[in-house]
Amino acid sequence: MVQYNFKKITVVPPGKDFIDIILSRTQRQTPTVVHKGYAISRIRQFYMRKVRYSQQNFYEKLSTIIDEFPRLDDIHPFYGDLLHVLYNKDHYKLALGQINTARNIIAKISKDYLRLLKYGDSLYRCKCLKVAALGRMCTVVKRISPSLAYLEQIRQHMARLPSIDPNTRTVLICGYPNVGKSSFMNKVTRADVDVQPYAFTTKSLFVGHTDYKYLRYQVIDTPGILDRPFEDRNIIEMCSITALAHLRAAVLFFLDISGSCGYSIAQQAALFHSIKSLFMNKPLVIVCNKTDLQPLEGLSEDDMKLVMEMKAEAMKTITQAGDPNEEGVLLTMSTLTDDGVMAVKNAACERLLEQRVDVKMKSKKMVDCLNRFHVAVPKPRDNKERPVCIPPAVLEARANDAAKQKKQLEKDLEQENGGAGVYSASLKKHYMLANDEWKEDILPEILDGHNVADFLDPDILERCEELEREEGLRLEEQAAQDAFEIDGHELTDEQKEILSQIRKKKALLIQEHRMKKRTAESRPIVPRKFDKDRKFTTNRMGRQLSSMGVDPSAAIARSQSRGRKRERSLSRAAANADAMEVDGQQSNKKLRLGSRSRSRSRAPEEVVPGEGFKDSEQKKKAIKKAKDATKKRNKDARRGEADRVIPTLKPKHLFSGKRTLGKTSRR
Amino acid sequence: MPQGDHIELHQKRHGRRLDYEERKRKREAREVHKRSKDARKLLGAKGKRFAKKRYAEKAQMKKTLKMHDESTSRQKADDNVQEGALPPYLLDRDQTQRAKVLSNTIKQKRKEKAGKWDVPLPKVRPVAEEEMFKVLRTGKRKTKQWKRMVTKATFVGAGFTRKPPKYERFIRPTGLRFTKAHVTHPELKCTFNLDIISVKKNPNGPMYTSLGVMTRGTIIEVNVSELGLVTPAGKVVWGKYAQVTNNPENDGCINAVLLV
Repeated sequence: MVQYNFKKITVVPPGKDFIDIILSRTQRQTPTVVHKGYAISRIRQFYMRKVRYSQQNFYEKLSTIIDEFPRLDDIHPFYGDLLHVLYNKDHYKLALGQINTARNIIAKISKDYLRLLKYGDSLYRCKCLKVAALGRMCTVVKRISPSLAYLEQIRQHMARLPSIDPNTRTVLICGYPNVGKSSFMNKVTRADVDVQPYAFTTKSLFVGHTDYKYLRYQVIDTPGILDRPFEDRNIIEMCSITALAHLRAAVLFFLDISGSCGYSIAQQAALFHSIKSLFMNKPLVIVCNKTDLQPLEGLSEDDMKLVMEMKAEAMKTITQAGDPNEEGVLLTMSTLTDDGVMAVKNAACERLLEQRVDVKMKSKKMVDCLNRFHVAVPKPRDNKERPVCIPPAVLEARANDAAKQKKQLEKDLEQENGGAGVYSASLKKHYMLANDEWKEDILPEILDGHNVADFLDPDILERCEELEREEGLRLEEQAAQDAFEIDGHELTDEQKEILSQIRKKKALLIQEHRMKKRTAESRPIVPRKFDKDRKFTTNRMGRQLSSMGVDPSAAIARSQSRGRKRERSLSRAAANADAMEVDGQQSNKKLRLGSRSRSRSRAPEEVVPGEGFKDSEQKKKAIKKAKDATKKRNKDARRGEADRVIPTLKPKHLFSGKRTLGKTSRR
Repeated sequence: MPQGDHIELHQKRHGRRLDYEERKRKREAREVHKRSKDARKLLGAKGKRFAKKRYAEKAQMKKTLKMHDESTSRQKADDNVQEGALPPYLLDRDQTQRAKVLSNTIKQKRKEKAGKWDVPLPKVRPVAEEEMFKVLRTGKRKTKQWKRMVTKATFVGAGFTRKPPKYERFIRPTGLRFTKAHVTHPELKCTFNLDIISVKKNPNGPMYTSLGVMTRGTIIEVNVSELGLVTPAGKVVWGKYAQVTNNPENDGCINAVLLV
């Protein structure tokens, strides 16, 4: 279903704004910085992008215009003709055609200049080409600016066209000017049309809606039509003609029988006969208006004859087979006194509905549906009664159910005893007492000088005692707990001092340990750097150990020993070899190695020709220097002299976030 | 009034709001301040556009004011002095006219022979060879450098076929070939888009002429049969010379002035 909504067409900017929009968008959306030092391909690409982007934008904008404006050949003929009447089809098509041409020209310009840009060999040349390309595109748009202005005006006008649905149930009101069409419209719908006592108050189509039999009808008020040749009619009249020609609606032809509109009945009849062809196949109702001035019966002979002629003509529009129904063809009313207005509306709607149903029933689609279902109605074969059969058990059960449901509720009581407000429900009704007669007795609050409420519970004193006992128990418990906590204060002064000493020492130890751990990364050797005040000496260790009652000599010896050297002397190997001799298995290999000449393994400081050292002294020095240079670095665990990395001292992931259960060590 | 015009309808029925005039006056009075604020605040392209528009408005305003002034103040009537009129003190020193008027065709022929024309652009900037040609490296190892590509706009005849690449020294890329020129007739003061017939002379040298390179100042021959020019003998002129007035490779089109 095509929706005829011309309100959604986007605004068509005037030519100048159009150019501004595109150019500023190009400026905003494409890169703006380029230097002549860039590679030429990059410069070319920079400018090509600008040209291409502008072209794309032009193309998009022009395309939306072309797409959104309706094509007169594609829309419903009613709208096609209406737009033609209002805006002139040729002009409209020409304007859209120009837009289309401009779009193509711009595309071609862009293509040409992109090709030329490929041969650009300097920034200046590329820039010149870009300027030329954009300039030419803008010129093209500038040239179509009159068309753009025209389209914008049309757009604004189209947005305000009444939204008429050409396919729905429609009642169309037509007639001479000033015969009371708009007054009727105001009576029947809420359209709020302007009514004035002069001709052509209504200058365009107006639409309103009304209800009949729970269905919505669209009522269209048309401008008045004069009886003159088709070519002479102006735009206002042509609107009416278009509506009459293309809408399948019930037509109300308004007749001013009083002649106060300035046209005689004869003239109106002439108009009726001249536009008769437009009423074909539509339910037509002739409405005689202004009966308050001139009742239908009081018409002269000639006029009556004319009216009857029209009626006869209108009867022809009834397509019903058999006897044509006369009622609802010629009606009288007065919009001033509201006389017969509803009758006119109802007649028109009724006839329209009939006609539409008729058409629908005849259509092929309906046949397709109808032959699929079948309602079987049994034909009576004799006069015997065949009522519904219900088993007696079911009937009985039903009766029982009805009886059971009769439980009297408070609500029913209320209904019986005078309804809400009058009936007051008794709260004492359900009291459970030894004697039912006591229910209604009055309960005193104070009796013999005592509050009755105090004596409601017979063993209240016992309860009170119980409570007090409980309270006492809890207090005792509290006291015992307090006493236990106070115990700490019972230490003597001497003991306190010792305790504090112990704690102090513990704290110190922990602190020291932590410092040590932090500074030397818990390595056994503490670099001198971190031990500025010479705390970690062997002497101190010895003292400490002996004070703890341990013999320190072994520990001192170990710490003072340099560890095993990586020496090349054969002595140790020999010692090993000696140990192995016990087994009597001399390793041939070992022997061979041992007997080798010095040439096989040299001391590192021995000079080899070609190394560039004067003598071994010099080489030794050099090696030492190299070692010294790397010593500190190695100690700091650097990779090389270029490794100056400062590690992340406080890694973010370790210091941020919540520490929930077990999140301290691994995070 | 169509159905959708709610505002107009309302105004027709109930009139405008009571302070309408007052508000309108105030809005108009504020307009000046708003504009001056804009003039101070707008930056970049928007500011440029604003300034240009404002300038045009002001210039227009001044013109109209002046026009009104002129109507009131008296002005000395300026006699229509003809072009080339001599002052009275020079009247007796009349210029010698050429006795013989040569026909246009003879004149053109002479000029052609001399290779000189009375042209709108008598001098042009010389174009260096490096600018004109781009060196292409060829060969499997890209070591040979004898090929040249023309970087300016060129014209090649209709039936042109390239030489086999092995022998083609100068390449005229298809992207830079032009066949049409925008030619302005200096007396008619209008421009036509005409076909190029040939390149007559390139001021930078005969080699460029033969290559058909079109730079600024080049004389080209254009097809003017559409203009319907007629020789004194009554024949229709179809080829005429024109001089290129722009840098075609920068503008993407050829603009020329017809030599008459």
